[in-house]
Amino acid sequence: MISRRKVIKSAAAAFAATPLLSMPFVARAQTAGRVVIVGGGFGGATAAKYIKRRNPDIAVTLVEASPRFYTCPFSNLYLGGLRDFDSIGHSFDELTDTYGVELITEWAEGVDGDAHTLTLASGETLGYDKLLLSPGIDMRWDGIEGYDEAAAELAPHAWKAGPQTELLRSQLEAMDDGGLFILSAPADPFRCPPGPYERVSLIANYFKESKPSSKILILDSKDAFSKQGLFQAGWQELYGDMIEWVSLSNDGRVIRVDAENLEVETEFGEIHRADVLNVIPPQKAGFIAEAAGVTNEGGWVPINPETFESQQVSDIYVVGDATIAAPMPKSGFSANAQGKVAASAIVAALTGEEAPAPSWANTCYSLIGPEYGISVAGVYRVENGEIISVEGSGGVSPAEADAEFRAAEARYAVGWYDAITQDIWGSQPA
Amino acid sequence: MAILDGRDPIAQGVVLDLPLISENGAVVPLGISIDRPMAEDEYVQAIHVFAPANPFPHIASFRYPNARSTPRLETRVRLNESQPVVVLAELSSGAVLVGESEVRVTVSGCLTMSDTYDTESVFQTRVRVEPGAPTSVLTLINHPQETGLRTNAQGEIIPKRLIEKLEARIGDELVFEADLHRSISANPYLRFYIQPDAPGTLDLVWTEDTGETAEFSQDVA
Repeated sequence: MISRRKVIKSAAAAFAATPLLSMPFVARAQTAGRVVIVGGGFGGATAAKYIKRRNPDIAVTLVEASPRFYTCPFSNLYLGGLRDFDSIGHSFDELTDTYGVELITEWAEGVDGDAHTLTLASGETLGYDKLLLSPGIDMRWDGIEGYDEAAAELAPHAWKAGPQTELLRSQLEAMDDGGLFILSAPADPFRCPPGPYERVSLIANYFKESKPSSKILILDSKDAFSKQGLFQAGWQELYGDMIEWVSLSNDGRVIRVDAENLEVETEFGEIHRADVLNVIPPQKAGFIAEAAGVTNEGGWVPINPETFESQQVSDIYVVGDATIAAPMPKSGFSANAQGKVAASAIVAALTGEEAPAPSWANTCYSLIGPEYGISVAGVYRVENGEIISVEGSGGVSPAEADAEFRAAEARYAVGWYDAITQDIWGSQPA
Repeated sequence: MAILDGRDPIAQGVVLDLPLISENGAVVPLGISIDRPMAEDEYVQAIHVFAPANPFPHIASFRYPNARSTPRLETRVRLNESQPVVVLAELSSGAVLVGESEVRVTVSGCLTMSDTYDTESVFQTRVRVEPGAPTSVLTLINHPQETGLRTNAQGEIIPKRLIEKLEARIGDELVFEADLHRSISANPYLRFYIQPDAPGTLDLVWTEDTGETAEFSQDVA
C-alpha cells in the first residue's frame, strides 16, 4: 500500500492539470481508496463510471490521451460514407461532471507495480491502490516486412479510430472509378474479428453507389472468418462479384508491403497492386500493458477471469482487447462487460468484500449494407478457472432470412451502438 | 512407444513455435527446429510430431536421409482440444530428443467454420523455392485432408481421403520425406529446407492414400 501522503500529493498535482473539472469533488471525503484507470475506451470508461456508481467515495482518475474517444465500432460506417466522423466521437463530460471522475488528458508512460505508481508523459507520478488498464491494441510493426509507421501513412491500417480512419476515407474518395481496393486481414487473434469483413461490405456499398466499376480484394491470413457464410452470401446478394476473398490456403497471406507503390507480396510470391491499400497488421496489447509487465511472451495479457486482475502483477486489472479472454472476442461489447466485472471486483476488494461471480454477454453486429445486418451473440462464464461459452446460449443470424429480417438486424445494430455509447459515455444518439 | 525402442529421450534442443492459444483448432501454425550442438557426423534423421489428445495422435513424421539436413520445419496442424504438442527428434547417433509445448484451443465466439479447400482444384500445388544456405522450400497442396471422422449435412461419414506423403528428390537422391496423417490441416502446408551439394532438379511428389499423385519440378542451384 502507498502512504496517504503520497496519494494526497499526487492527487493535488493531478487537480492542477484540470482544476475546473475536479474542483467540485475536492471537498468530498474520499477515503475508500484510489483507482487510476488508463484508457477511456469501451473498457476503461465503463469501469470508471461503474466504480463511481457503486461507491462514489472511491477516488477515480482516468488517464486518456485524447480529449474525445472515437470508436472502432461504426468507424466502418464512416468509411462507407454512411456517417460523419463526429458521430463516432464521445466526450468524457458525463464521467467528470456527473460521476466525479478526475480526467487527465495525457499519455501514460510507465508503471511501477511494486511502488503502485503510474508515470505520465509529463513525468508526473500518480499513486494508486488499484490500477486498471484498458489499453486496447498496438500494431506489431515488425509483423509484416515493410509495414512500419511510415508505411501506414501511405497504406493506412485504420484499426484505431482516428486520423488513420480519416486518411483511409480520403483515399477512397480520391480513388477513380474502376480502381482496386485491397484489404490485408491478419491471423487470429486480433481486434474485432468481423471488422475487416464489415469494412469491405460498407466500402462496396459506397463503390456501388459512387464508383460501380471498382473492385475489392481481401488477402487473408486465415482460412475462415467470423460469420463467413453470412458475409459471403450477403456480398453475392448485394454486390455481385465486386468482392473477392483470398484465403490463407489460396495464398492470401501478405508477407511484404511496398507502401510507396501500393504493392503487396503474398507468401508464395504473388504481387498485387492496389489503388487504395488497407493493411491490418498483426497486433498486441497496447504498450502501457507491456510497460506494466502484465503481458506474456505472446504480447497479450493473461488475467484471472473472476476479476480481470493480472496474473503477473497484483493490483493491476486489465480489460478489453489487450487481454486473453478467449472465447470472448476482442470486441467493444466484451470490453464493456469486462469493465463492469473489473469494477465490481475492484470495489469489492477496496471495501473488503468478496467479488461476485461474473458472467458476460457479447453481441457482434455487422452491417453488410445499410439495411442488411447480421449478428453473432454469446454468453460466457467461468468454469475451472477459464472463461467458457455457455452451452446452448448465443447463436448467429439464420442463413436463410428475408429482407425484413436483415433490415431489422441493421436497426438493432444502430440501437446497440446508441445504447452502449450512452451506457459508457452518456452520449445521445447522433 | 515404437519410435523410442527402449531409448530414453533427452528433453533438450527441440524448439517448438506454437501459439499459446489457438482460436481455430483446425489450423494451428507449428514451427519446429532442433537447436543442440551435434557431434561430428551426427545429424537429425527424423522428427515425429504428436498430439496426444487427438483421436489419432500421430500428426506427422519427417525424415532426412542424409547428413546434409537442416532440421527446421513449418506446418499447420489440427488440435482437437487443449493439449501439449510433443515432438521427438531421432539423431543419427541413436539419441532421441524430446520437446513439448502446450496449446489452449478455444473456438472464437465470433467464428463459424466452413470447408477451406477449393473443390474445383484438388491437387493443385503451390511451391516457392528460395535459394540460400539452406534453400527454403515452401509447399502447399489444395486438398481436404479428410479424416474419415467427419459427417456431412446429411449425417453420413465423409470418407477418409489423405495426402499421406511428400517426397523431395534432387536428381535421383531422396533429400526429404514427410509422412502426413489425419491431424495435418486441410491443404497440407509445409516449409522445409534442403542443402543441394550440386545444381540439379528438385522434384516433389505428393501421394494420396488412393495412390494418386501430384508433382512439381524446379531447377535448384
